[in-house]
Amino acid sequence: MSRGAGAAAAWPGRRRRGPGPALTAPGPEERIAARRRRIAARLDAKRREALGEDAEAKTDEEEEEKEQRGSHKQIEESRQRLAKLLFDGTQLVTNVQVAVDSRETQRRAEEAELKLQRVERLENEAKTNACKFEAITSKWAVAKEKTVPQELWELLNQQQQQCTLLLEEKNKLIGELQQELKSKDEQYVHALKKQSDDIHLLLERMEEQIRNMLKNYRHELLQIEKAFELERQELLDDNKKKWEEAIQAHNAQELEDLAARMKKVEEFEKQLNQLQVQGVEEYNSMKSQLENKVQTLAKQLQQVKAVYQLNQEKLDYNLQVLKKQDEENTIIKSQQKRKLNRLHDVLNNLRRKLAKQEKQLREENQSLAADYERIVGQCKELQRTMRHFAVSDAEKFTEVWLMNEEEAKGLIRRAFDADRIIHTQQLGLPWEEPRYWFLNNVGPLRHYKAKRTATKLAAEVLTESSCGEEEEEGRGKGKDEMATGEGGRENPEKSEDRVRPLQNISKTTVKRILELVSDESGFLIESKLLRLLQPLGKHERTLMKLDSIFAALEIDSEDDLYQLVDFFLKYKAQEVAVTQSQAAPHGQEGPASEDPADLAADTANDGSSSQRTEVTSSRSSLDSLPSVYIHADDILKILKAFVRDFDKLRGKDDSAKDLLRGWDSSKDGEYWNALAHAIPESKLKLWDALMVALEKYHNILAQRASLITEVAVLQQQNSELCLLLDQYMTSKVNSELLSPPSQWMDLKLPSPEEAQ
Amino acid sequence: MQEPVAGDVSTVLPSFPSQASLAADSYCIQRVIAEDPEWSLAIVPQLTELCLQHIICNFEKNPIMDRLLPEHQRKVLDKLSTGLPLTVTANLIHDEDYWKRCCTQRWQVCDVSNYGDSWKRMFFERHLENILKCFIPNITDPNQVLELIPLCKEYVWKLEVDQFLPPVTLDQKEEEDNFSDSGSDLGLSEVSMHHYDLGVLITALPHLEELNLTYGVKDCGMNFEWNLFNFTHQDCYNLAVALKKCHNLKILKLTRSKVDDDKARLLIQNLLDHPCLLELNLSHNLLGDKGARAVGKLINRSKLEILDLCNNQIRHLGAQALARALASNSTLTSLNLRLNCVEDEGGQAIGRALLTNTTLKSIHLGSNELSEPTAMLFSQVLAQNSTLTSINFSCNHIGLDGGKQLLQGLMDNKILTEFDLRLAEVGQESEYLINQILRANQERARLRSLQYPSVKPL
Repeated sequence: MSRGAGAAAAWPGRRRRGPGPALTAPGPEERIAARRRRIAARLDAKRREALGEDAEAKTDEEEEEKEQRGSHKQIEESRQRLAKLLFDGTQLVTNVQVAVDSRETQRRAEEAELKLQRVERLENEAKTNACKFEAITSKWAVAKEKTVPQELWELLNQQQQQCTLLLEEKNKLIGELQQELKSKDEQYVHALKKQSDDIHLLLERMEEQIRNMLKNYRHELLQIEKAFELERQELLDDNKKKWEEAIQAHNAQELEDLAARMKKVEEFEKQLNQLQVQGVEEYNSMKSQLENKVQTLAKQLQQVKAVYQLNQEKLDYNLQVLKKQDEENTIIKSQQKRKLNRLHDVLNNLRRKLAKQEKQLREENQSLAADYERIVGQCKELQRTMRHFAVSDAEKFTEVWLMNEEEAKGLIRRAFDADRIIHTQQLGLPWEEPRYWFLNNVGPLRHYKAKRTATKLAAEVLTESSCGEEEEEGRGKGKDEMATGEGGRENPEKSEDRVRPLQNISKTTVKRILELVSDESGFLIESKLLRLLQPLGKHERTLMKLDSIFAALEIDSEDDLYQLVDFFLKYKAQEVAVTQSQAAPHGQEGPASEDPADLAADTANDGSSSQRTEVTSSRSSLDSLPSVYIHADDILKILKAFVRDFDKLRGKDDSAKDLLRGWDSSKDGEYWNALAHAIPESKLKLWDALMVALEKYHNILAQRASLITEVAVLQQQNSELCLLLDQYMTSKVNSELLSPPSQWMDLKLPSPEEAQ
Repeated sequence: MQEPVAGDVSTVLPSFPSQASLAADSYCIQRVIAEDPEWSLAIVPQLTELCLQHIICNFEKNPIMDRLLPEHQRKVLDKLSTGLPLTVTANLIHDEDYWKRCCTQRWQVCDVSNYGDSWKRMFFERHLENILKCFIPNITDPNQVLELIPLCKEYVWKLEVDQFLPPVTLDQKEEEDNFSDSGSDLGLSEVSMHHYDLGVLITALPHLEELNLTYGVKDCGMNFEWNLFNFTHQDCYNLAVALKKCHNLKILKLTRSKVDDDKARLLIQNLLDHPCLLELNLSHNLLGDKGARAVGKLINRSKLEILDLCNNQIRHLGAQALARALASNSTLTSLNLRLNCVEDEGGQAIGRALLTNTTLKSIHLGSNELSEPTAMLFSQVLAQNSTLTSINFSCNHIGLDGGKQLLQGLMDNKILTEFDLRLAEVGQESEYLINQILRANQERARLRSLQYPSVKPL
């Protein structure tokens, strides 16, 4: 308690001293430091200014910079000073708060301590008093036991004393606490006073601070303004000085210039005078000269004028003429222009027409081309249908043929059967079946031939002619026998084909031509092939060569080959005259003469005898052409010409080929006639006679037959009548009758069995 | 008890005499004209003047303002009486000069810069504050406030009420007259002790951003009684509910109001996840460790930037709770724990939190019984933290060694500009050196602030 009071008492004292040295301690120190710094800075600035003055002499620019820096420095300094002041001031003001805070914390700490002490004391008090109180209460029990009033009184007194003691103690405590409370109240009042003092102090300080700051700010502002003013003044002075210097320099320069100019003016004046004098002299001389020239020129002018007059007249005339011409020209030009326009119109019209026509024609052309294509298509279609119909016709034909043939053959067979029966049964003669060729024939007659390739033909020609040559030397005949060994069918065709080219040309001629061709036109064969052909025999080599040559010349069929040969011969015939006699020994009479003999044999074997005869007839008229000698050099020319004409020839041939395939219907008529007359006339007559006789015989037989039937009827009637009679005889009536008929008749009736 | 009421009535009154003076003026003018020998028709005022005069005279009954020409409006506004009822003027007159006249006539000290440079706002805010200050529950008609709401709701942004009067009954007054000493508070029932419920008013003000309340009585003098300063639980509940509905509130100051742990928790429970609240000031209350824990919770569940808990009873447990919240917080910039009893344990916890925190700029740990261990930890903080600009350790027992360590930690720091070590027993030498470093840092900060605006225009 005493500590608390002491502390409370100590505070006001301390407060009265203001913030106290401990609080303000940093303030003055810092202020001193700041002041020192400021002084140092000012000294520095002065030194710098001094230096700057020295430097001023050197350069103006540097000085300016320094001046600038000086004002900045002033600002910086002022700012620092003000910041310092502000900081210190706020420190000073806030110091009050801090002091109060620290006092408060101290007070709180003390308060807490006091509180603890008080609580402890109260507790102790309570404990001790509780003990005492217990002692007192325990004595009450003893008092109850006391019976002697004196003792009891004594005890009660004692108790009373103790109670008062206890109460006194309590009261003392209460008193102490109240004392404490009072002192606390006092403290509180003190504290209140102190705080109000503090607040006053705070206000004071704040006001002072504000005043201070205001003053300082004004001061610093003034300082800064002064610095600026100074700086400005200096700058002004400087500039003025510079300006004056410059003006002076300029003035001096101006004076110099003026003097120089004056001098020059004088010089120029002199020169001008001189020049004037010179000029006058020159002028005079020139004047006289020029006057002379003028006179001469005037003369010339007169002359020229005269010429001019003359020329003018001439030109006027010309002008007139030209004008006239010009007019004419314009008229002509306009005419021409008109004409040109008209012609242009015509041209345009024509062009238009041309275009129109071109267009029309193009359209026509297109339509015609379309028509053409259409017609070609139709034609192809037609051909196709035609071929189709031809095939179907042929089939139908064969079918009809076969049907009719069969019918006819059936009829013939029946006729033959009848004939046989007549012969064997009626006539009693042995019958022999007749054998006709046409009975064996089935189907329509064939007489067209298969085409062969040119190569084959050539090979045949070559081989055959080589054989033929041999044969010619040896035996003239027997050439056909060699081929016939193969088969009946092929041989006649071959012989027929072989014969055809020989219509005009001999076989040897052909052979020679072919050999020549194979030898001379080696250029048409590939070199590779030639090399391959080397090892082969002469005959084969020739064949192979011909094969490739034909391939090159596009000679496919035998007809082409014939044409080639024909061409050769014709070509030669144009140049060389041919004698008939030279060709004769090489003619092919031999085979032609032998043919009739063969014919008989052939007709027996095949049905193609009629063809054969035709061929032979044509061959018989054959007159073999002479074998022409063709020079090897000509081969090339001939081949060229042939190749040129070949296409034309081939076109013609195509139509001819088709014709060869046509039917020979005349032979069919014969065939059918032969079929119809299978039974000979004599036999028919015989049959007629026989029929008459047989008819007679038949009549007789018929009469006999009728008679036989009549007999049979009569016999029957007879038997029936017998039966009737018998019936009547045997009936009862007879017996009843007086005179039975049977008696009087007496008749013997034959039995029906007998009648039969 | 009676005195404040009487004083308040006198403050309300001044609106009346102005009308009387006006009438006197007009009478005076009339008389002067009648006696003026030089009076002539030539200086008869123009009809417009007369009309305007008439409009001014009858403005209360027939307010014409919008239909006048601008220059006439000007004239009318200049001459309008400041004593006109607010029901007429509040929503009709927006002219600042008129309201300036109103304010200067009514109050001697007028600092318009505190009210967003709006005289009208100043007038209405202060008018409303006056009414609230003089409001006596059960006696004053609540309609007095309610009628004012539609008039002033557009112009009130801030409410600064530093006095709430407790309810008073007549018999109690008599009692108080008889026994001016304490003891009569036994008769006051708890129910009748509630202060005015701000709920209706606050929620009706759409622009309210700042609320500055003190549940206490000013100028009670020798009539002091403890129960005059009783912030009851019901009051707290009413306030908390009202605050929850105030979505635009940015600043809440509830100072010197005996807010203890329970009340603080109730308040904070209603402030959790508040959309706007930026500043909370609960200084000079009775907040303990539990209250501190609740505040810690609030820090991380709101946008709070400034927190002032000075002069409370927060001990090391509460400080630790705050430190935990601070470690994971990223909004708070300023924390004031002056005059608490955090002690070294709490100080160390806060120091550790500051090792990770990167938003806090200013911390005040003055008068907190801190000593050397905290200084050691803070020297570490000074070396690591790069956001802290201001620290206050005044009135602690840091000691000489602690001061040296702090100096060591400060050696490499380039950010700290304020470090208050007054009365911290640090020793003059280290304090001087620390001040040197701080000055260098301040210089750096100044240059930085000069650089930024110079960079911007580029």
